[in-house]
Amino acid sequence: MTRERFIDLVRTEQEPLRRFLLGLCSGNRSMADDIAQDALVRAYVASGSFLGLSKFSTWLFRIAYNCFIDQCRKASLDTVSDESFEAQTVLSDDSTDDQFRYQQLYIALDKIPDKERAAIVLHYFEDRDIKEIASIMQIPSGTVKYLLSVGRNHLKEQMTI
Amino acid sequence: MNKEDNIEKFLRENKPVVKDDPTFLLETNRRLKSVEGIKTEVDRQRANGRMALVVALAIGIMLGATAMFIGYLYPVNPEQMKAGFLFNAIALIESWKQYLIVPVAILSLTLTFVLTSARKKAL
Repeated sequence: MTRERFIDLVRTEQEPLRRFLLGLCSGNRSMADDIAQDALVRAYVASGSFLGLSKFSTWLFRIAYNCFIDQCRKASLDTVSDESFEAQTVLSDDSTDDQFRYQQLYIALDKIPDKERAAIVLHYFEDRDIKEIASIMQIPSGTVKYLLSVGRNHLKEQMTI
Repeated sequence: MNKEDNIEKFLRENKPVVKDDPTFLLETNRRLKSVEGIKTEVDRQRANGRMALVVALAIGIMLGATAMFIGYLYPVNPEQMKAGFLFNAIALIESWKQYLIVPVAILSLTLTFVLTSARKKAL
């Protein structure tokens, strides 16, 4: 796949991809964009192995999800405490009204496990069905349903709607 | 409306907004350009791997066909083989077949270890 063709495909996918990662990173926009760039580079290098068995966006999201997992592993090795990460997560973004609207959601998302967050973000923000989420996260469909149910319960505990 | 519906409604109505950012694609393009060489190398290795697979498959089919052909052309009388090395080897395997899993397991583990180490080194 040529770089021009890849960029053309990415042009339509960049917005959903960045939104997915923004949700996964609990609103940390710079971290989300960094992971998105990393994922796109990995996807481009591996684009020869894309056989078209799944949709391009599903394939791209799978790579992005794996990049996020790698990033989490790296972060867990750092000595930064959870509290400082949380503060950074919320305060590092622009403090406009729009951003403020999402703070409650992002704080709640940040407090639930990564897998639950990924399932919630894919299902509710990206409108992906269970089968697609299973393909992106490389887990069985039953596990996705379980993660969505548990994730919703955890979010309910965190939020006051 | 129960809390379950509330949370679903809240999530659907509060999708994060990502504004179209032209600098993002420019930065992506810049990064893609810088990894062009790596991609070429990866593509070359993948093509070599595919070619090796096809060649191995073709050689396997050819050897199998040749062996069958020779087998049909020069049939062997099993009675004549009974005293030969092949017969003794088969008889030995037959008598120790319950322990056959041990060398297979050792071989598999060794191969896994060797290949993993080689891959780690390559990375």
